[in-house]
Amino acid sequence: MKQAWRHLWRNRRRSILTLVAVFLPVLILVLELGLLNGEQESLFKNTVTFETGHFQVRSSIERADGGALSLMKDPATALAVVDSVPGVAWRTERLDLPAMISNGGRSQGVVLQGVIPEEVGRVSPIGRLISQGAYLSSGGRGVVIGVELRDLLATSVGGELVLLGVHPDTGIGAASVPVVGVYVAPDPAMGRGVVQVDLGLAQTLARRPGAVTSIVGFVDGVEGPWDQAKVEKVVADLRARLPKDYKVLDYNELAPELRTFQTVEKPFHVLVMSIFFILGGLVVLNTLFLSVVERTHELGVILALGSSRRHVMRMVMTEALLLALLGAAVGLAVGGGLVAWAHAAGGVQMPGSYSEAMRLMNMEPVLQLRVSILEYLASGLAMVGVALLAAWIPARRAAALEPVEAMRHVD
Amino acid sequence: MSTNAILRTENLVKTYVTGAVETPALRGVSFELHKGEFTAIAGPSGSGKSTLLHLLGGLDRPTSGEIYLDGVALSTLKRDALSRLRLEKIGFVFQAYNLIPVLTVLENAAFVLELRGVRERERMTRARAVLAELGIEKYANQYPNRISGGEQQRVAVARAVVAEPSIVLADEPTANLDSKTSLELIDLMKHLNSERSSTFLFATHDARLLDRVNRLVTLVDGKIATDEVRDSL
Repeated sequence: MKQAWRHLWRNRRRSILTLVAVFLPVLILVLELGLLNGEQESLFKNTVTFETGHFQVRSSIERADGGALSLMKDPATALAVVDSVPGVAWRTERLDLPAMISNGGRSQGVVLQGVIPEEVGRVSPIGRLISQGAYLSSGGRGVVIGVELRDLLATSVGGELVLLGVHPDTGIGAASVPVVGVYVAPDPAMGRGVVQVDLGLAQTLARRPGAVTSIVGFVDGVEGPWDQAKVEKVVADLRARLPKDYKVLDYNELAPELRTFQTVEKPFHVLVMSIFFILGGLVVLNTLFLSVVERTHELGVILALGSSRRHVMRMVMTEALLLALLGAAVGLAVGGGLVAWAHAAGGVQMPGSYSEAMRLMNMEPVLQLRVSILEYLASGLAMVGVALLAAWIPARRAAALEPVEAMRHVD
Repeated sequence: MSTNAILRTENLVKTYVTGAVETPALRGVSFELHKGEFTAIAGPSGSGKSTLLHLLGGLDRPTSGEIYLDGVALSTLKRDALSRLRLEKIGFVFQAYNLIPVLTVLENAAFVLELRGVRERERMTRARAVLAELGIEKYANQYPNRISGGEQQRVAVARAVVAEPSIVLADEPTANLDSKTSLELIDLMKHLNSERSSTFLFATHDARLLDRVNRLVTLVDGKIATDEVRDSL
């Protein structure tokens, strides 16, 4: 080991360059993983608080037309089961139904969300996005619409609109309601197509008192996608307890893009990162190859003195191991330091257009860098593995030298 | 083979082939070397001295013929076994010293013991003792490039004898040294030969060394021309 260490510093400049080639991929991977995890966490939080919750209970009846969620057969029973399952931290009811909204001769098809205004803030941002008027209140008769729909219907706060609830199970219900608030949607399609009313009004439009299409819930202690197991446990529990008239969906099933991130996007980024690792490995290979060529005479002497081939191989591999360990350690230290620093500073502010896009998605344009211990260690070990693989070729070349021929080599 | 012969060759032939050209280096060399001998192989350039030393040291294979070292036929040994035999039975001293530059004098002297798997404390003790015997203990912690050529060659001798091999093969050990240093080195090797009964075989044409050996084998054109024993052992 001591000998290998000293060999490394015979050509100080080359060794330092090699260390940089080993250190950089590790550093970049740690930071990349930190950003990816931060992005995933942000996407997770956005998805579950914007729409899905951690889980939803719905009727198990799938409609052939796919246009509307089926009404739950006995929401009270389902609510009682949800409330009895350990780990459920919070839940609310919602009634989503297709509707037509009109102002005189202007009309637009929309998704009408019947919500409990005091509760829905945890799974809908609309209450926080009001730009004119006010948000809904329980038992109130009014509708909240997006800026785009307001312009389309040429109305404003206080204007009367006609709502036609159209549910395949119950037929058509109608009501004339005032616009109580206008919200600025992060996405124009949402602003045109999603309106909210009090749950009671929605049930009137659905012509069924007490009707609900979803129970949306949160699970205790779930901070990010890494807590998925807790959600899975509660979902499994609910599936076991609820009658077969109901189905339970977790956030991954409700928002498949989250799973896509986990199974496609993140692995893809890590795969791209492997190019840096291969380049690092090639630099290690080049360094050790040159080192072996330069030391051909010396290696010949060592073999002549009676060293085994295995010993010579071990010498070269030890040098590679030292380079890799040192480079990886520096990469992990710097990467870990930067992640910790970013964490302490409250996250990384995303630049320009990326930041705007996040704001439009109702996300804070600040990513928290997160790297798990496992990912952290795997980043370093991957580089060590690549370096050792790369060192195999020069090590074999060194071990295959013939002593007499090698000793004739002139440096 | 006589009872105390540690090395014996039988009709050794070595021919180098380059393309269609064959160059004979040894043309049938047979001789025995006995324990404790201080022997030189002399001869003009191209007579086959270095080739013979390489074959005897198991660093190269003969075209035909056989070498027995402590009764073991070298041709029967595979590559790894030959390495092991070199490690356990042969010490080498090279013309260009060939010390390992990243090791200190002490570590160089102990290197063969390290290859043999001797524990660090023991190998350092043994190496230090040999360095003291050769008068270079004070350089123990220096690197080879900080000491003179003569001192480096003493370190090479220390490395060759520290593991008490059956035989020390030295290829032109004084060729790079001045007269005074050469004589000092020859005296030291002679001292090791008499005190430790180490067997030395030199390839040399250094007259000062030839004067001090007790057996002189002369090679001419790849054959033994003379084999002269100067005194009894």
